[in-house]
This record gives sequence, structure tokens and C-alpha cells, in this order.
Amino acid sequence: MTFDTTRDAHGGGVATAAPPALVMDGVRKVYTMGDGSEVVALADATLTIASDEMVALVGPSGSGKTTLCSIAGGILSPTSGTIVVGGEDITGFSPKQLTTFRQEKVGFVFQSVNLVPFLTARENLLVVDELGRRTGATARQRADTLLDELGLADRAKNLPGQLSGGQRQRVAIGRALMNDPALVLFDEPTSALDTQLGEQVMELIRSEMQSRRIAAIVVTHDERITHYCDRSVHIVDGHLTE
Amino acid sequence: MFLAWKEMRRARVRFGLLIAAIALLVFLILFQQSLQNSLLRSFVGAIENQTAPVLVYSVDGQRVIQASVIPPDLEAGVTSLPSAGVVGRIGQGTFTAETTSGLFDVTILGYEDPAVGAPSDVVEGRLPQSSGEAIASDADASNGFAVGDVVTLRPSAREIEIVGLAADAQLNAGPTIFVTYDTYLDSVAAQNPDAGTPLPNVLGIAPADGVTAEQLVVDVNDISLDLDALTRSDAADATPGVSQVRSSFQVIFLLYALVVPCVTGLFFLIVTFQKANALTLLRAIGTPAGRLVASLLIQASIIMAAGFLLGLLLYLPTTLLELGGLTLQFETVAVGVWAVLLFALGVGSSLVAARRVLAIDPIAATTGAGVGR
Amino acid sequence: MKLGLLELRRRPGRFATATIILTLIAILLMFLGGLLDGLISSSTAAIKAQSGDVIVYSESSQASFLRSRVDGELRTAVEALPGVEVTGGIGLVQLGARVPGNGPRDLASVALFGYEIPPDGVPDVPADGLVWADDVLKSDGVEEGMELLLGPARSPVTVAGFVSDVSFNGQGSLWASPDTWREVLVANRPDAQLADEVFQALIVVGDGAPSALARSIDDATAGATESFTIPDAIDAIPGVEEQQSTFNQIIGVTVVIALVVIALFFALLTVERTGLYGVLKAIGARSSTIFVGLVAQAVVVTLIASAIACAVVLALDVVIPPGAIPLDITNSRIVTSVVLLLVAAVIGCAFSLRRVLRVDPASAIGGSA
Repeated sequence: MTFDTTRDAHGGGVATAAPPALVMDGVRKVYTMGDGSEVVALADATLTIASDEMVALVGPSGSGKTTLCSIAGGILSPTSGTIVVGGEDITGFSPKQLTTFRQEKVGFVFQSVNLVPFLTARENLLVVDELGRRTGATARQRADTLLDELGLADRAKNLPGQLSGGQRQRVAIGRALMNDPALVLFDEPTSALDTQLGEQVMELIRSEMQSRRIAAIVVTHDERITHYCDRSVHIVDGHLTE
Repeated sequence: MFLAWKEMRRARVRFGLLIAAIALLVFLILFQQSLQNSLLRSFVGAIENQTAPVLVYSVDGQRVIQASVIPPDLEAGVTSLPSAGVVGRIGQGTFTAETTSGLFDVTILGYEDPAVGAPSDVVEGRLPQSSGEAIASDADASNGFAVGDVVTLRPSAREIEIVGLAADAQLNAGPTIFVTYDTYLDSVAAQNPDAGTPLPNVLGIAPADGVTAEQLVVDVNDISLDLDALTRSDAADATPGVSQVRSSFQVIFLLYALVVPCVTGLFFLIVTFQKANALTLLRAIGTPAGRLVASLLIQASIIMAAGFLLGLLLYLPTTLLELGGLTLQFETVAVGVWAVLLFALGVGSSLVAARRVLAIDPIAATTGAGVGR
Repeated sequence: MKLGLLELRRRPGRFATATIILTLIAILLMFLGGLLDGLISSSTAAIKAQSGDVIVYSESSQASFLRSRVDGELRTAVEALPGVEVTGGIGLVQLGARVPGNGPRDLASVALFGYEIPPDGVPDVPADGLVWADDVLKSDGVEEGMELLLGPARSPVTVAGFVSDVSFNGQGSLWASPDTWREVLVANRPDAQLADEVFQALIVVGDGAPSALARSIDDATAGATESFTIPDAIDAIPGVEEQQSTFNQIIGVTVVIALVVIALFFALLTVERTGLYGVLKAIGARSSTIFVGLVAQAVVVTLIASAIACAVVLALDVVIPPGAIPLDITNSRIVTSVVLLLVAAVIGCAFSLRRVLRVDPASAIGGSA
């Protein structure tokens, strides 16, 4: 699988003919509680993200940003509304289909538990391939390339326990990029890091996403980092505001 | 107590599985304890529970009654011993007998003098007094050996009437009847016309006044190297197969007993690791370490008690069963001993986890380090 | 699956205790099985080795040599049957043997057989006064060429060589000519002596199905005989069936214990892992992939435990003095034990399947640590 390296004459990121990374239209997610009452986690969310846009999703805890992320990433199905990711309509996908979809089209960088503790950095990158397509040598080559680009070539054989927080973050990013996704979801990438380190990580994220023209949603409550993104979307009590 | 119980209620599957494992282990241990005791009783009960304090075999008999033969000269030597009080002949034969329940292999023990060689624990009826009567072991009553039943030896067709029952009086794990010596001789002659009058297999002796059984044993053995005298309980223990049964079961018990603390210890160790954060939090808000350890020990105690009781419940029905001719009994003493031993092992093994609990530093609550790996 | 095996390789410590417990259980299974095999073998090997189709006892003898007598007339009747090719007489006497070099009260327990048709592994009938000795008697100090004195009459026999797997009733056996056997019987057990031409049982070689042959012999003699096929004769030995069923039940319950232990261990393991499973599921792992990894771990742990147990049991077999515990460790018993444990391992894992299925990939987002 190759990734798109075409640039326009100005060398900058430009909306290409590639389909939007995410189109959510009127998405609702409603949970029915044990006592019969209903909780609306997400109300009528409509959001479009271009194929190389980086969007910050800002909101307090309990605002529904987790739900929105889960739906965008193909982990949850909406109660109503439509969702199209990377040109693929996943609204009616069964859990099995969603699982395959995630393997191939989405990357995740989680907040805390990210890496498999007993796998080396390189092996952590290879996990996705191991779980899905099993391309073998192709995947190994790609993993080495990514590690190199992320400045982790000499850490390839280290276990997560032997890496610093920032290095672990970079390995997680590498893993998210392994399957050349249409969309990468970053869940609070700087919450465990100090200001300086946080900025370094955000710069890295931005440059990686831009250079590969991959769309990203960065979930955060930290207003210090939203300027790294192309735009911010706010969410409160399940409602999106721009 | 509160914490201990609440946690167990929330995690029913794992605590349930642990209790199930303990219960099965307890059941197996108790069951095999019964099996061992029952096997030994059915093999040598007739030897342990007869009236002669000392039995004299021939060395060639190798502590098997049927294989032993006492020639007349040695018998005379024993009878004339001053330390021997009462001396009586004992003969053993194996026959096929037909009862109302079918054909059985029956051991017939004939005794000359009821004071040395008759069953010691008569529970129903009486000892045989004349020819053609016998007292059987109570374990065989339901197989056509009850008081009043008549058994017929095959192929000789000799009939013998059961006039009494004795407790735990079996030999060689099969139906056993005690008869007077003349009934025994008669049965042998009817079975094998080629044989003459058989010599006695074993002599039963009671010591004279003022002599101990042990002294009598020494005196008899001094008469001849061909004689092998033993006290009643030594004779039972020395019967071939008995020590093998004991050794085999000892290895089995050891292994099963080891599994119990391993399983319990493993369980609590893992569970303690998993509760690391919760435990750290409790310590941070001021719960004394001793309280947490107490909670752990209480859980271990509840589990061991529940597991043991459940295992006991599984074991009870087997003591009412007959297993291929063996009647298993509820071994009260063994149950008591194992209860204490297993409880101690189980609760003791949880102390390994307790050590980890005591090592928790409350400050870890603020840093999120927990119990650590 | 690769993930599960990698974890096993990288983090062996956390599987150590479960492996130890499984090793103990595996030792138990192999030991119990070996005990059963040993008990049965030492009781019945001599019968199992008989190279005939049917054993004929007299009526009402309940398949016991000591209670059976087959005289010349009965034998002729049996031989006359169509389908009977050859008959061989066999008789037995159980005595203590005095072995040179052993103490005066230290006798070896032997079963002396007089035979005509050699059983498997036993050479042709030796000359009078010579015997083939069961090699279990070596532990009593018996050597080739030794003269043993049998019974109270001290009947002498000389050991011409050794044979294997022919024990009877827990005793080592000696195999002699019918005349030697009869002499020893008369001298030592006058009450059980048998006239010439009288044996305790007949070994019959014939054609056709053994069970049909056995029936036809009993029919022809109008019930004066009780004939058994060799396997039936073994089962008829008192105690054999009971031993087998009792031991098999104990073995069965032990396998269930192994199952519960594995179920417990893996249930605990998966509880710890729910965070990791959430992440894996989020990045696209199927539940089946995760579960297969668990099963792979259970299988490997079981195999390791079995290997250690096998080594321990074989060592036990060497260390335990012969005769102290009747142990017979056979390959088939070891294989059976391992297979039973593997089945228990796989089923035990199934208890964790529900928990693995229930892990929600959405739990990975919003990261509860």
C-alpha cells in the first residue's frame, strides 16, 4: 500500500481530490440505562473533516467527546445519522465489519495504555499487521522506515518500560500510522507531559500528519495546544459548536 | 470483615472457582482417606479384630495365613512354652460359595478355641458353636451372609448357616466367615478329596498370666527359625500389600495436599496485584495496614471453610456407598486432622500476599504507582 | 496467537506459579495411572502373557487357579472338540523361596507355575529341576544359576534364566515343567496336592473367535468347565475391575481439578488485561484472535508442566525401591495423562471467553488507566 506524496506547486497541503476523511451527518448516540431512562451522549452531531485536516476536539469530561471519537473511529455505531470515513459509509457496519475497518483505515493514539508492555517498540508497530493482513516483509520494512522517521531507530528493540514518556508517545504514533489510515485519533496526547515535552509532541504530530496528508482529530481539554491544529471544534453536553 | 465480604460478593466467578477447586481437592483427599482405611480394614480386619493377641506363622508363610503351615513338632514346642497361656489352631481356606445373591469367593477361617482366633467384635447373633455354623463379617450381610442365611459351598454342596455377624472381620477384601475347626476341616476335605487332613496354618496364642504379648512373641521366635510370631497388630501391618497401600497413598496425599496452598497462594497473590490501586487508596485515606491484612486473612478463612464444607458434602454420600465390595466409612478423625491441616496451609499461603499488602506505601496514591510489578 | 506466545516468552514469571500447580497435578495423574498399571500388571501379567485363546477352569472355581481342578477325563473331552487344536495344562503353587545370601526369615514371595504351552516371552519347558525366573525377583537377590529352596520342604530349583512381565498376584513367578511343579506341590502343600494328569487349568489354542470357543467348550462339557477368553480371565481376577474403576474415577476428578485451576488462573489473567484487550480491539483485533492467544498460552503451559512431570515421575520410578510401591510407568499412560490435561486446559480457558468477548474497544478511549 503506498501513500500519497503528491504536492501542489506551492509545496503546501492542499485539499486534493481525495474524499473527506470524515463526514458525520446528524449523528445521535443514545444509551438506555438500567432503569429505562435514556441518556443522550451525542445529539445531532454534524462534522466534516477534509482528508488532510487536523481538528482539535475540545470539551470538558462528560461532554461526549469520547462518544464522538468512538463513532468517528468506527468503534461504536450511531443510534441514528450517517457516518462516512475515508469515503466508506460505515453507518450500518456490523461489529465484525467495524473491526476489519479499524484495522485498515483508522489509527489510534490513546491517552494512557497504548503499547503492549511485553513487546518491543518495533513489535508494537507490527501488531496491526499481525492482527490483520499479515503482509510480513512489507510491514517490517514500513515499521523500520517509520521508526527511523520518528527518530526511534536505535530504540527499536526496547520494551516500553525502557522508554521515556515522549518516546512511548512516538512509538504509539508510529503504530497509528502503520496501516496508512484515512484518519488518526489522538486522545489527550499531552495530558501526561509537561509543557515543553507537550509542545514537542504536538509539533511532531503536526509535521507527521501534514507530511503524509493524513487527517487527525486531537481530543483535548488543553487550550495550549489547539493552535497546532487547523481548527477547533467544541463540544458541550453532546452538542457540537464551532 | 465488611471489605472482605463485599469484595467476594462482587467477584463471584473467581472466588467461586477457587472454592470449587478447594472443594474438589478436599473431596478427593477425604475420599481417598476413606478408601485407604477401608481397603486396609477389608484386607486385614479379620486379623486385627480376632481374639488371639499373638499369632504364630511359619516363616515360609511370609505373613500370609493361607501360605503358612505349622508342622506338629513346632506346634508341640509352642504348646509347651511356659509363657503361652491358651494355644489354638487356626486354618484358612478359600472356597466358592453360593448365597441368595449369587456366587462368591469366600474365605473360611476355622478356629479351635474361641479365646484365640474367633472374631472379637460380635455385633449381632453369636459365635458358631457346632458344626455347620458360621459368623460372617457385617460388611457382607447384604450379600446373602446375614444372620439366618444359609450359604452352600460349591462344588461340594456343603451347607453352612450364618448365626452371627462381627464388625470389620474381612480378609483379602472379600466375604469372610469364621467357623469352628471341625467345620473348616470338613469343608477342605469336601473340596479336595486328594488331600489328607491339613495341618493348621497359624496358631493363635494368649499369653500366660503376667506375660506380655511382646515377651511371648520373643519366646516363640526363640524356639525355631522356622517360626514367625507377631502380635495381632504387627501381623496385620506386616501382611503383604499393606505397607504398599500405605506408601502409595502417602505419596498421593502429599501431592494433593501440596496443591491446596499453591492454588490458594497463587490466587491471593494475583488478586492483591489487581487490587493494587484500591488498596493504595485505602491506605492513603487512613486504613491501617493491619486491617487490610486482616481482611485478606478473613477471605482466605472463608474460602478454606467454604471449600472444606463443600468438599465434605461431596464426600458424605460416598461414605454411604459400596465400592466394589468395599464399604467406605466416614472417617471422623481423619476429617478433623485434614480440616486443621488444610485450613492452616490455605490461610498460611495467603500470607505471601499479605507481605505485599504490608509493603504498600500510601504516598503511591498520589503518584499512581500502586503495588508495582 | 503469536502475541500470546510472545507474552509467555517475555513474561515467564507470571505463569510460573500456575505451571508449578499444573506440574503437581500432572505428576499426580501420571503417578496414579502408573500405580494402577503397576497393580494390575503385577496381579495379572502371567495370565496376560498366555499364548492361547481360552483358559479353562473347572466349574465353581470362579476363575481361581487354587480352586480349580481339571483332570485327565475333562481334558480329553475338551481336546476332542472340533476347533480345539492344542491344550496345555497349567498349575500354580505360591510359596516362599529361600535365596542364598538372604536372612533366614527373609524369603522371596514366588508363584511357581508348571506349564506345557510357553507364554509370550517364556522359553520352552525347561528340564526338571530348572526354572525360568521373573526378573522382578532380581530385587530379592535372585541370580542366574542360583539354587532356590522353595517352601517349608525346601524343594530345590535352579534358575536357568530370566523372563519379563509374568508376575502373578503381586508375586514374582517361576516357570517349571509340570513334573517339577507337582513335586514341589506334594512336598509343600500336601493338602492341595493333585494326582498325575490333573492340572488346575487348561490353556486352549483353537480356531475361530476365542469367545465362541470358550462358550462351545462349556457347552460340550455340560457346565463342568468355566472357560474364559484371556481378557475375560484377567477381569475375573478379584479386585481388578474394582481397582480400575476406582482409580479411573479418582483420575477423572483430578483432571477436573486441573480444569478448574486453569480456568481460575486465566480468569484472573484476563481481568488484569481488560485495558490491554480494549486497546487491541480498538486497533482492530478480533475477539477470536485474543482468545486463541489465551488458549495457546494454556496449551504451552500445560505442555511444559507435563514435560517436567514426566521427568519427575520417571525419576521417582528409578528412586523408589522395587516392591515398595507397585509402579509401572508406560508410554501410553503418560500420553493419556498429557492429552487429558490438554483437554482440561482448553476447556478451562473457555471460562474466560465471555470476559474477552465483553471487553469494549471503546473503553480504550478516555483512557482509564
